[in-house]
Amino acid sequence: MADLSLPQQRAARRRLSLPKIPTAVVVAVVWILAILVVALLADQIAPYSLTRMDLKNRLSMPGNAAHWLGTDELGRDVLSRLLFSIRISLLIAFGATAISAVLGTLLGFLAAHFRGLIEQIVLMLADFQASMPFLILALAVLAFFGSSLQLLVCLMGLYGWERYARIARGLAISAAAQGYAGAIRQLGATPSRIYFRHILPNIASTLIVSMTLVFPEVILLESGLSFLGLGVQPPMTSLGNMVGYAREYLGRAPWIMLAPATTIVLTTLAVSIIGDWLRDKLDPTLK
Amino acid sequence: MTAPLVKVDAIVRSYRMRSGMFGRVTDLRAVDGVSFDIRRGETLGLVGESGSGKSTTGRMVLGLEAPDSGSVAFDQAAMPTTGSAAWRSQRARMQMIFQDPLSALDRRWPIARQVREPLDIHAIGDAASRAVRTDELLRSVGLSHDQGLRYPHELSGGQRQRAVIARALATRPDFLVCDEPVSALDVSIQAQVINLLVDLQAELGLTMLFISHDLRVVRQISRRVAVMYLGRIVELGDADHLFAAPQHPYTRALVSASPAPGRRSTERIVLTGDPPNPAARPAGCAFHPRCSHAFARCRLESPTLVEIAPDRSVACHLTDTDTGTVSAAASEAAA
Amino acid sequence: MLRFFAVRIVRAMLTIALVVTFAFVVLRLSGDPALIIMGPEAPPEVIAAFRKAWGLDDPIWMQYLDYFGAIARGELGRSMRDGRPAIQLVAERIPATLALTIPALLLKLGIGIPAGILAALHRGSVIDRAVMAAAVAGFTVPSFVLGLVLVLVFAVQLGWLPSGGQDSWRHAILPIITLGIGGAAVLARFTRSAMLEVLGQPYVRTASAKGVAWRAVVARHALPNAAIPTVTIIGFMVGTLIAGAVVVESVFSWPGVGRLLVVAVANRDLAVVQCVLLLVAATMVASNLAVDFLYGFLDPRLRTGAQAGAH
Repeated sequence: MADLSLPQQRAARRRLSLPKIPTAVVVAVVWILAILVVALLADQIAPYSLTRMDLKNRLSMPGNAAHWLGTDELGRDVLSRLLFSIRISLLIAFGATAISAVLGTLLGFLAAHFRGLIEQIVLMLADFQASMPFLILALAVLAFFGSSLQLLVCLMGLYGWERYARIARGLAISAAAQGYAGAIRQLGATPSRIYFRHILPNIASTLIVSMTLVFPEVILLESGLSFLGLGVQPPMTSLGNMVGYAREYLGRAPWIMLAPATTIVLTTLAVSIIGDWLRDKLDPTLK
Repeated sequence: MTAPLVKVDAIVRSYRMRSGMFGRVTDLRAVDGVSFDIRRGETLGLVGESGSGKSTTGRMVLGLEAPDSGSVAFDQAAMPTTGSAAWRSQRARMQMIFQDPLSALDRRWPIARQVREPLDIHAIGDAASRAVRTDELLRSVGLSHDQGLRYPHELSGGQRQRAVIARALATRPDFLVCDEPVSALDVSIQAQVINLLVDLQAELGLTMLFISHDLRVVRQISRRVAVMYLGRIVELGDADHLFAAPQHPYTRALVSASPAPGRRSTERIVLTGDPPNPAARPAGCAFHPRCSHAFARCRLESPTLVEIAPDRSVACHLTDTDTGTVSAAASEAAA
Repeated sequence: MLRFFAVRIVRAMLTIALVVTFAFVVLRLSGDPALIIMGPEAPPEVIAAFRKAWGLDDPIWMQYLDYFGAIARGELGRSMRDGRPAIQLVAERIPATLALTIPALLLKLGIGIPAGILAALHRGSVIDRAVMAAAVAGFTVPSFVLGLVLVLVFAVQLGWLPSGGQDSWRHAILPIITLGIGGAAVLARFTRSAMLEVLGQPYVRTASAKGVAWRAVVARHALPNAAIPTVTIIGFMVGTLIAGAVVVESVFSWPGVGRLLVVAVANRDLAVVQCVLLLVAATMVASNLAVDFLYGFLDPRLRTGAQAGAH
C-alpha cells in the first residue's frame, strides 16, 4: 500500500469502493433500502388507510385488483397494513438500537474512565442483563407499566446495551494502555475530547457491527411481544401484531399471516447478512 | 543563582499489586525518595535499567501521576492536581515525548491535524494562524507539508517521532520530558532524532529531562546526569565528569559496559546477582547483592546522597568525603 | 480453587439480589403496590390491612428489607384472578412447560451439535454451507412464525397433527419441533465456530503431524476443548428451560408457565408475574453456577488455580 500515491491510498481505504461484494449482500442491501423507503413513504404509498374497513370484501384472497395482498377479517387491506407495520416496526427497531448503543457506549466509557466502584457496578449490571432472558424482564416491565409506544421503545432500548458497554470499556481501556489516549490527555485535552473525538471514532466500526447484530434481534423481540398482544397496541399495527391477529384465520386466510411473517424473516435475514459481511471486513476478531 | 525551573523533592511512589480478587497484596515501591533540580535551559539525563523507576519519575515530574509523598515544583509553583483544569492548561508549558511514536498518535487522524491539536485544545490563535504554525512546526522537525497530510502508519518510525516532537512543541513549552524517545528506532535514525532534539533545544531554549537506559545517547544530549537504581538516585553530577570518572559501583559497571571513543578500554565490570526487581527490594543498600565491594553496613543501611564535589553526589557507604571518591580501600578499613 | 467457587457463588447471590431489587423498584415505581396487587376493586379495609401487613407505611429501606424477607419465606402474593397463592399457580404449570422444553433441549443438542461439528470438519464444503444456511434460517425465523407455519402445513393443510391444546402426546410434537429448531440453529453455529477455533490451534496440527489418526485427533483433542465454550451456551439453554417457551406456548395454547405469564401480564396480575420472574432468575443463576463449576472441572487451567478470578 505504501507504493500507491496518496489519493489512491485514500480511495482504497473507502470501504464502499471495495471491488468484490457478494451477491447475497447486494440483495440484502437492496431489500433493506426498499424497506426503508416503504417506512418513510408509507403514508404516500399505501392505497388505503390503516384502519379502513371494507366489510363487503372481508378475507378476500390476494391477487385482486382492489387489494393486492388480500384483506383481513375486518376487510382491512393487508398491503396497507403491511406498509404501516413496517414503518412502526422499523421505527421501534432503529430507536431501540440507537438508544441501547448510546447508553451502552456511555456506560462503557464511564466504567473505563472512572474504574473502581463505578466500573464494578456497570459490570455487574451488564452481567445481570446478559444472564436474564430479556423477554422475561420485558414482560415484567410491561406488566407493571402497560404498553405505550414510548415505553416500548425505551424498553427495547435496554436490549443489548451490555454488549456495547463491554466493547466500549474494553477498547477504551486498551486505548489508554496503548498510549494514544494517554498521549492526548497529556496534551491537555479534556476527557470528553479524548473519548468523543479520538476513542469513539476508533471504536465506531466495532460498535456498528454490534448494532447490525442487535438490530435483527430487536425486530424479533418486538415482533414476539406484539404477537403476544403485549407490544404495539391497536390502532397501531406492527408486523408481529399482524401475525398475532392472523392466528385465528390461519386455515381460512393464511395470507394474512404470511405477508408480515415473510417480511420479518427477510428483513432480519438481510440485516444479518450485511452484519456478517461487515464483521468479516472490519473486525475479524469479533466472533 | 536563579531558581531551578523544576524542583523535585524526595518523591516516593508505590503501587499495590494484588494477584486476583482474593490474592495477596504486595507493595511495589517504584520510586523511593528521589530529589533533583533542573535549571532553565539545561538537560538532565536520567539513566537506569528497567525497574529502576525512571519512567515513573518522569511521569511524576510532569504531574501525570501524583507522588505518595514529596513534592514536585514547576517554576516555583506546586504541581496542580492531575487531571484538573489548572493541570490541563499547564500542559501548554510542559510536554512529553514517548518511546513508541505509533501508539502515541491517533491512527485515524492525519499528522498535521495531530500536530495542530494542542493549538486547538488550548485555543491558541485562529484557524489561519494555526495552519501557518502547523507548517512551521513540521518544517522545524524536518517534515514536509505533504508528509503532514499522511497518516501515522504511512510514515517511518523516525518520521513519526519527529511528528510527535512537533506536536509537543506546538504550544512553545518550556520543559520537555523525553522518555526513551529513540529506543524504538533504528540506530542510524536515533542519531538524527537526537541531533534534532539538541538543535531544537539550542534554538528554543528548552529545558529537558532525558530518560534512557542507553548511555551513549544520554551523554550526547545531557549536561548533567542522574543514575537511578531500584527507585533511588545513586549518583548525580555533570555528564562529562560522571562518565569520565564514575564513582558508584553501579555507575562504574554501566560505563564500563558502554564503549566510548577516546577512553582506555578498561576491564569490563560484570555484575553478578539478579537484575533489580522492585517487588523484592533487598534490605539496606538496594545494590548490595550485586556489588563486589559490599560489606556489613551495606546490608543494614541504605546510603544517602552525599555531595563529594560541587554539583556531584554519590550514594554509597564507601564514599570518602575527603578525597571525594568511592574506593575499595575504604571497605577494607571498615570491615 | 476454593476462591474460584467462592467468587462465583457470591456473584450468583448478587445477581438474585439484583433481580429482587429490580422487581421491588419496578413494583414501587408503577404505583401503589397495595392497589396493584390487591386490585382496584378491593375494599378499603383489605387495602389497609395489606398495607399494614406489607409495611407499606414504613420507610422505603425497611420495605426493601421486608420484601427480601417475604421473598425468602416464599410469600409471593396471591393471584388476582382466583386468589390462590402465586407460587402454587406457577408450580402446577412447571411440569407442562418441562414436558416441552426438555425434549426440545434434547432435540437441540441432538441436531445442533452434530451439525456444527460436521460443518466444522468439512469446512467450506457443500455440507458446511448447507448446515450454515439452515442454521441462519433457523434463527432468523422467529419462533412464532415457525410455529404458525408448521401449524399451517401439518395441522391445517395436511391434518396430521392437532394445532393446539394439551390433550395428547401428539399435541406436543409441533411445539417441541418449533422450540428445538431455533435452538438447534444457534447451537450448530456456535459449535461450528468453537470447533473451527480449536482445529486451527497449533496443538491440533501437531497431533496430526505426529501421525495420530484424524479421528482420534478430533475425538481426543478437538472435541473436548471445543466442548468448553459450548458448555456455556448449553448452560444458558438449560437455564431457559422454564422461560424459553413463552412464545411457543402461546402459539400452541399449551398450558405451561409461559402461557401463564403472558396471561398474567395482560391482566396485570403482578403477584404471578413477580413469581415467574424470580423463578426464572433462580433457574438461570443456578444453571450458570453449575456451568461455572463444570468449567472448573473441565478446564485444567482453572483447576490449578492459575486464573484466580482475575477479570
